Amino acid sequence: MSKTYTLAGNFCSMGSMTSRRLLVLALLCAIAAAGSACGRGETKPATIKVVIAEYSRDHTRPFWQGLSEQYTKQTGVKVDLQVIDWNSIDQQVSTMIQNNQPPDVLNLNSFSSYAKDGLLYSGDEALSPKTREDFLEAFARGGTYRDKLYGFPILASARAFFYNRDLLERAKVTAPPRTWDELAAAAKKVQALGGGVIGYALPLGPEEAQAEWSIWMWNNGGDWKSGDAWTINSEKNVQTLTFLAALANVHRVTQVNPGKTNRTDGAFQLFKDGKVGMVMGFSPLAAQLDAEGKVRYGVTQMPTNVGAPVTLGVEDYLMAFKKKGNQEAVRQFLDLYYQPEQITRWITAEGFLPVTKSGLARMSGNEKLKPYLDALPSARLAPTTDPVWDKVKLDVQQTIGLAVQPGGDPKQVLDRLQKNAAESGR
Amino acid sequence: MGRALLWLGPSLLLIAAVVIYPAVQLVRASLGRYSLTGLYLGGVGLRNYARLLEQEALPTVIANTVTWVALVVGITIVISLGLAQLLDASFPGRRLVRWALIVPWAASLIMTAKLFGWLYDYYFGLINRALVAAGLLRAPLDWLGDDATVMGAMIAVGVFVSLPFTTYVLLAGLTTIPPEVYEAARVDGASGWRAYRAITLPLLRPALLVAAVLNLIYVFNSFPIVWTLNDRNPGVAHDTMITYMYKIAFKSALRDVGLAAALGVVNVVLILLAVLAYLRVARGPEEPA
Repeated sequence: MSKTYTLAGNFCSMGSMTSRRLLVLALLCAIAAAGSACGRGETKPATIKVVIAEYSRDHTRPFWQGLSEQYTKQTGVKVDLQVIDWNSIDQQVSTMIQNNQPPDVLNLNSFSSYAKDGLLYSGDEALSPKTREDFLEAFARGGTYRDKLYGFPILASARAFFYNRDLLERAKVTAPPRTWDELAAAAKKVQALGGGVIGYALPLGPEEAQAEWSIWMWNNGGDWKSGDAWTINSEKNVQTLTFLAALANVHRVTQVNPGKTNRTDGAFQLFKDGKVGMVMGFSPLAAQLDAEGKVRYGVTQMPTNVGAPVTLGVEDYLMAFKKKGNQEAVRQFLDLYYQPEQITRWITAEGFLPVTKSGLARMSGNEKLKPYLDALPSARLAPTTDPVWDKVKLDVQQTIGLAVQPGGDPKQVLDRLQKNAAESGR
Repeated sequence: MGRALLWLGPSLLLIAAVVIYPAVQLVRASLGRYSLTGLYLGGVGLRNYARLLEQEALPTVIANTVTWVALVVGITIVISLGLAQLLDASFPGRRLVRWALIVPWAASLIMTAKLFGWLYDYYFGLINRALVAAGLLRAPLDWLGDDATVMGAMIAVGVFVSLPFTTYVLLAGLTTIPPEVYEAARVDGASGWRAYRAITLPLLRPALLVAAVLNLIYVFNSFPIVWTLNDRNPGVAHDTMITYMYKIAFKSALRDVGLAAALGVVNVVLILLAVLAYLRVARGPEEPA
């Protein structure tokens, strides 16, 4: 614990604002070092460190706090619970591992790099058979690295196509678009309403560009990989990105600078404000729209250019870190979370989708989730099982937006992504 | 000797913990190779530094940093000179105005930056609405998305948050100038602009030095403003060396803690050199060391 801040602290240690935070950290470290009762016993650690990403302020901490207390009551092992926001969780976890202080249980949106580094227990080691068998097949596959389950599905979400009913009616679009041609036509009609109304909101800024891009790519028959080889710059994908650039710069039916618009603050915000005809959203957006009650909206499947509609499924993970003597304690913690009433209670509260068979059975009656649950069978996952993806994702986030800016070159951008991906794999 | 150490002990410990230890760790990290997860894979000597020089983005980032620091510090000091003069004069409500000036300083930088993010917004922002209504702009501008305006928009916020501190340093400097000097000047027939140039500015020099050096360091190291206002832009076209360092470590395909640490060391050395060079030029031949 005495080594908790190196790089993360150093990044800001010269800034006026952060020197106080450093001081606090230093004091905390001193205190922790003085009372280092942390697990050195062979049998059972006194404490396990559980790091959870913050999905929402209202639900995440209360649920995990309650679960931790229940766990401590059952096992006598204390839980050092850390709920960390998505913006800084990568940095904080990296710092923990740099300092040889990994968590015992970690929740994140990637897992394969950790599995590759040999830091994790597999499902056979950290989960009871009953828990392992309860995972939905597709999500278990999405957590597999070299034929073993390392990324235990914690929750899932699926994207769906949102449209503003009022704007589409005003623009005389009678049904939501099923094909790309219909989408472009509908977007033109909506945009033509004028007064700052936007046909289709396209967020290709760094926040989540890989998600938006995946959906477009798949609905044109393209993919990230074919077998073991990356196919980011395939002809189909160049065609797809060229289509998106045309939406922005030729038809001009997107918001201004789509390559520089993020999802949450940008596209979703505009849709919630009633300025946007169509956008790709997910269940938490629906929850916000319902709470605000300002926009009359519909949810349907993705428009497609080739074949049946495909959507993006996103799966987040729980990982169990190998540390001396913590296996039993970690297994008990995970088994507690995966009890059907626990996991379902949390996933329902956060507005996400189930990852277990028992959870699916319990949640399938929920009317609000119906469009997303219906979409799940056609949902595809990003190639999270390949450790190279953890870099490709960041690369896509930081570059693909440039292709839809005026003067951008879709082929050149994809060629470069392809080259970087192929080189990282070596 | 022992007694002295006893008194100095707590602060020495503190310095060791918050200055020396992180610095040593930073240098150590810069000499290592790390996996994407943060796992240490072994030492690589100075290779991270060599790789740093190969980064295509480096010239852009350095140019951005120089622009950012020079303009924010320069503009801040010029405006602060005026503000300090204003606050030094006596007028009714002066105390209130002095207090009001502290507000942007007291507010969290991230909150200030977020607030400006909304003010600059293309669709919702008040700045566009005001400028269009006043006839200064024909159509709204995407201040934070348009490559031509991002840096300017960030610099304006940088100046806004730097003004309070700088103004107070200069105001403190102004109050140390004895009124007799001005009286003597008036007797000699010098007043107004002439008095300002011949008396105020030279006597303000120590305060100006402090303001410039501290601002140089703060602005160079400023992370929240550039990070928050530039968060929508892909790539590193508008990053400074501080935000670039963070991107290397966590947000780009490099995802390389060792390389980022090397840049961190370079940053510290650069800012030290910049401050030394500035002091040398600014102190001039007056005070032979």
